[in-house]
Amino acid sequence: MAKNNKLKIAIYWAASCGGCDVAVVEIGHNLLKLKEAADILFWPAAMDFKYSDVEAMPDKHIDVCLFNGSVRTSENEHIAKLLRAKSKVMVAFGSCAYEGCIPGLANLYNRGDILTRVYQETPSTENPDGVIPQPHCKVPEGDLDLPEFYESVKPVGMVVPVEYSVPGCPPVASQVWGVLEAIIAGKLPPVGAVLGAGDRNLCEECERVRDGTKVKQFVRPHEVIADPKKCFLEQGIVCSGPATRAGCGRPCIRVGMPCRGCYGPPEGVKDQGAKLLSAIMAVIDPEADVEQLVSQIVDPVGTLYRFSLSDSLLQQIKWQEAEKK
Amino acid sequence: MQHTDNTPHSFKDEVMAEPGGELLQRCYSCGTCVSMCLVNQTCPDYNPRRTMRMVMLDMREETFRNPTIWHCSACDLCHPHCPQGIHISDLMRAIKNVALRAGYESPLPSAKVDEHKCSGCDICEKACPYGALSLAAKTIDGKERKISQVDRSLCMACGICAAACPLSAITVEDYSNEKVAAQIQAGHWLKKAKSGDPKVLVFNCSWNLRAEADRDAMSELPANVRVVNVPCSGRIDPTFVLTALQAGVARVLVAGCQPGECHYKQGTRIAQGRMHTLNHMFEQMGMDAQRVQFVQIGTEDRGRLPATILDLVAELKSSTVAVA
Repeated sequence: MAKNNKLKIAIYWAASCGGCDVAVVEIGHNLLKLKEAADILFWPAAMDFKYSDVEAMPDKHIDVCLFNGSVRTSENEHIAKLLRAKSKVMVAFGSCAYEGCIPGLANLYNRGDILTRVYQETPSTENPDGVIPQPHCKVPEGDLDLPEFYESVKPVGMVVPVEYSVPGCPPVASQVWGVLEAIIAGKLPPVGAVLGAGDRNLCEECERVRDGTKVKQFVRPHEVIADPKKCFLEQGIVCSGPATRAGCGRPCIRVGMPCRGCYGPPEGVKDQGAKLLSAIMAVIDPEADVEQLVSQIVDPVGTLYRFSLSDSLLQQIKWQEAEKK
Repeated sequence: MQHTDNTPHSFKDEVMAEPGGELLQRCYSCGTCVSMCLVNQTCPDYNPRRTMRMVMLDMREETFRNPTIWHCSACDLCHPHCPQGIHISDLMRAIKNVALRAGYESPLPSAKVDEHKCSGCDICEKACPYGALSLAAKTIDGKERKISQVDRSLCMACGICAAACPLSAITVEDYSNEKVAAQIQAGHWLKKAKSGDPKVLVFNCSWNLRAEADRDAMSELPANVRVVNVPCSGRIDPTFVLTALQAGVARVLVAGCQPGECHYKQGTRIAQGRMHTLNHMFEQMGMDAQRVQFVQIGTEDRGRLPATILDLVAELKSSTVAVA
């Protein structure tokens, strides 16, 4: 690689769907500007790189690493630690890396439950011998190793320190480019900041009409034909907007879905699900039956902590209980 | 419009002309309302019977000078018992309105909105049982935004809005997030030796402590119990509960009023919705759902709160022994 003063960037995916890599590509023609300003030293989702390429780098060689995906396996952890050592600035990029995201909902179950479900119970699986993948196994050709599948999913910030976080599942292209521009210009805020998003909640940006209607019953989006102009919550559809950071541009709301919560909690809120619960139960109709309302929130963890479970207080308490056992 | 003692109306006529004030003269001063009133039990100067009498006697300034006329929170415990069918909270509202017009202000604390944090999401407006919050356009940092504003004359400082606000932009002074946290932590309670008896944290609606005997019993609880009194169980943000459990507290008990008897109309229902959903989430996570408990104490359930706490402590002790 030619010696030059260009910024050195790495982009990695751990336990993620690949959507965050697509989000980087979605900056479109700005990719050319990125290429002009920076050398991409490592981006396995887009080009051929080997882990040995990274291992060969001196420490702190990479200026900024955009790490997407959570930590589910020993491989994820190994690369997170490796990239941490090789990078000056590490960014938890996207909801998985920042707060666990949808993969984090697997923490409702343990490793054994998940492996049994996937390798034995799913209708599409044919596995008469009940083989479950093991980290190490011997075959006639020799010993085979697989990364270890951990008991639970963790945001990358729980495994290695990160300087910044970029929320979103995935982060929207305009925000991605905004973050990259800030990186290129060297104009990053104090360490610990959330990049590429607003401070307050999504309701601030939402154009839907709020007329003060209180919730008489909670319904799921598929159970009603929602008024396209009215606030979802006022129609009894749990919308994560009140407890979700603004900045996405409301792509879900625009296509008639309530906010799913992927931009994580607003500034100053540590537990998105608890805050959302606090807000939605405060706006219930005085005539409504409370127990019915409670039972109408089917799958409360998946609804209130859809993206933030593995970074929540609820999760911490579960881990503590598991440790005691 | 300023009214002075020279106005042609009598004070009584003025109150009766106010919506809600119409039935004033039905009152024959039996005092049943006072016997039902929770405010009167903790603040004997607040006496709706006497206030109504004073209005009937045109004692305008004397009525306004009593700072307790603002204390009625419209819990309406008195209303079904009034033999004359007077809706006393409406009448107290009428008196407050006349006082407001005369330039008097409520001395009660009120909710305050941090305009920089507020997004205008409107959750508080729907949450407030008194209609004390509403949105108004304001220019903040050069941008026009809709911001929540508190009508001090309507606010009862119950704190329901403070818990409801997803941005923690609303504070009720004595029960701010920081002060509640400080009450929990006072004397380093959370940090005290983990080997001791399992800790029980009680968030109690202060209207639950009506009888002297209950207050005494609450002051004699063992050291592993910490009671944090709040104006209303609706002030309890589930974040408080989870934060305490995460800090090592074994059980959190939230005590509200019986539905229909809530001092702030809706608070206990809101708390019920929050705490029971927390229970469901604990079950879903495969955790011990008993770690969060919610009880609703009726106005006549004397002794129930301290007894519930002591039962909880005893049960916890026996279960710890069993495990060991």
